[in-house]
Amino acid sequence: MECVVQGIIETQHVEALEILLQGLCGVHRERLRIHELCLKSGPNLGVAASEVRLLCDLEQPEPTWTVRHIGGAMRGAGAEQIPVLVRTLNESKVSKNALRFFYSLGYKLDHELLRVGFAFHFQKGAQITVTVSSVNKMLKLHATDEAVPVTPGIQLVEVTAPASSENYTEVVVAVSSFCEYLAPLLHLSKPGVSTGVVPTAAAAAASLMSDGGGTTL
Amino acid sequence: MAAVDGAATGVQDQQQQPPARAVERLNTAVQQQLNLESVRTRANSLYKAISRILEEFDAISRANAVPKWQDVVSQFSMVNLELFNIVEDIKNVSKSFVVHPRNVNAENATILPVMLSSKLLPEMEIDDNTKREQLLQSMQNMPVSAQIEKLKARIDMIGAACESAEKMIADTRKAYFGTRQGPTILPTIDKVQAAKIQEQENLLRSAVNHGEGLRISGDQRQITSTLPVHLVDVFAANDGPQNYSDASGMYLKNTPPLSSTSNNSQGNVLQASGAQLLGRSAASPSGATVNTSFDNTTASPLQYANSPRSSANMMNTPSPQQQSLQQLQQQQLQRQKMTPQHQQLLAQQQFRQSSMNMGQSQLAQLHDMQGQGQQKFQQMHGQQHMQFSQPLAAQQLQARQLASGAMHMNQNQMTQGNQLSRQLNQFSSPANNAMFNSAQTTPSQTISNVSAMMSSQPLFTRTQFGMSGGNRNLPSQNLSDQMFNMGAANSGGMMPIHQQQQHNSQGAFGNMQQSGQNLQPNMVQMQNTAQNHPNFQQSRPQNQQ
Repeated sequence: MECVVQGIIETQHVEALEILLQGLCGVHRERLRIHELCLKSGPNLGVAASEVRLLCDLEQPEPTWTVRHIGGAMRGAGAEQIPVLVRTLNESKVSKNALRFFYSLGYKLDHELLRVGFAFHFQKGAQITVTVSSVNKMLKLHATDEAVPVTPGIQLVEVTAPASSENYTEVVVAVSSFCEYLAPLLHLSKPGVSTGVVPTAAAAAASLMSDGGGTTL
Repeated sequence: MAAVDGAATGVQDQQQQPPARAVERLNTAVQQQLNLESVRTRANSLYKAISRILEEFDAISRANAVPKWQDVVSQFSMVNLELFNIVEDIKNVSKSFVVHPRNVNAENATILPVMLSSKLLPEMEIDDNTKREQLLQSMQNMPVSAQIEKLKARIDMIGAACESAEKMIADTRKAYFGTRQGPTILPTIDKVQAAKIQEQENLLRSAVNHGEGLRISGDQRQITSTLPVHLVDVFAANDGPQNYSDASGMYLKNTPPLSSTSNNSQGNVLQASGAQLLGRSAASPSGATVNTSFDNTTASPLQYANSPRSSANMMNTPSPQQQSLQQLQQQQLQRQKMTPQHQQLLAQQQFRQSSMNMGQSQLAQLHDMQGQGQQKFQQMHGQQHMQFSQPLAAQQLQARQLASGAMHMNQNQMTQGNQLSRQLNQFSSPANNAMFNSAQTTPSQTISNVSAMMSSQPLFTRTQFGMSGGNRNLPSQNLSDQMFNMGAANSGGMMPIHQQQQHNSQGAFGNMQQSGQNLQPNMVQMQNTAQNHPNFQQSRPQNQQ
């Protein structure tokens, strides 16, 4: 299971966000470049269509592959009160033959995208990962070198934390309290719930980027 | 009380000795907040009241009289009230420079002794000691005076740092407050920009979460010449052309061809499969024999949309699923009407049609076919004496293997009568597609050919089938598998089948090849099935072509 929230930030404020995250997390950022292939099962494979994502981390010296299956989200009145989305998730490292394997199983490529950005991994009540990335699409199949951003002026911010059914309430609290620190720059919400940009983002970014002393506002 | 007195006298001293020393005035703010005159007056009156009470107590104690408690208590309460008022007044300002009395009440009483004690808590004491040792450790070797000097220097440094920090804070505060003009205005985003951003945001979120806007249409899904580094070795080096369906990408893997096996069971399989195959609802089940030649479908390279033969481009075929549905229905209808012989023919035709559709159809169709084929197979089981031992999966795997890479079409016997000669044709996938297209466009020919085919090889032995040069891709077991049907029969001819799990199409292709002409793939199958099927023996003598 994982707890996840998403938000958007204008590309011009990404640097300020990085400074803020650096201060909050206390770790150095890691570059992120992931080629994500989303495979959907064929029409007659199984009772319901299933979707599997293959992630290839291109930042490593040797590209590493991960397979990820995102399950259904927690539902109910209680889930609606929680400000983060709690959903089942299964992930595993796989070899590079995973793609061929899934093709042979009957999965087909539904879409693919490339995420380029940076990420912070730290521990603050829970093992939290914050990724800020520009989501790129490829006009030609598998052409990751020629990827263009889906939305050039806006980048995606995602805060995730693994959880289990026993401790997810604490993880939810940890994630939501961390998100409050980012309030001056962006709002985070469950995936699918749009937030818009924050009006104070420009001022907050300016103050984060300033050299810190006596600069007129 | 004493403190208040002290404050009052302090002020009085200041006022009485202005010329002697620099006038110490109270801070103007304090002066405003604290009306010192009134406080002094009140303090004086309170002082007088308390001294009066003390005198009374004194008199009572001397007289040894019982004091009137009610009076005493009331006087005491008055004094208490007066004191309380004064303390309230000076509390605001006295915090910074005097200690003012604090009333002891219920909540204070218990904690006061602890707070008043000067001894530290044990933990704090230990902390204190360790810090002190730490501080002095470096200087233990030096004389005391030197230690003192050093400590002083340290204190000075710290003091200087604090001062500079305070200065910076004060400066910044001044600047900040200095430039502020009027009430703060909350920053807002104008509506237009907000709408644009909202739109972008929806795009982004839907792309990330659902993949909207990222799907490429089928014809754009051709792999470019250079794959990125991480995908180069993911896709095998000898991949054939990739086929993608419009709605979903079907990636055809390239697998080494299967080793071929004998063909003995091929015919059997064909027969059984033919009966079960779904296919188009082509009419004329009977082998009205048409001598239409299949020569028009040559093994020329790819003929696509503009080819005269492929009037119906494979890509433009109606939804294969719909087709298969229609075919199924029609097939079932016709089946009821026909004799077993005709049924077989029809089934083969249907099979061929379906295989043609399969040429680039989607997986669903295949699955449908498989399912139905299986059902039909079971029905036919009794008739056919087939051995259908092979599991479907294995068959499909083999079929896939056949379809990949080596496209060796074994061809022989499809030629007229006993004159079939073996030909080993290697068809590239375009050629196969062409055949499919052509096959599709000449249904009537194919139908007629079926019968012709069937009739043409009374003496065909299994061994002739496509077994040239050991390019047998299908093990015999595959052939026995119902689903394999056509593919099995064609053994090597299966190669052109690009899609996975297209057993049908495999057979079709192989058949085409085997005929050496541009026979529809089904032809071969029909032929094979015809050979062994007793029903068709009567038609065998017709050797056309």
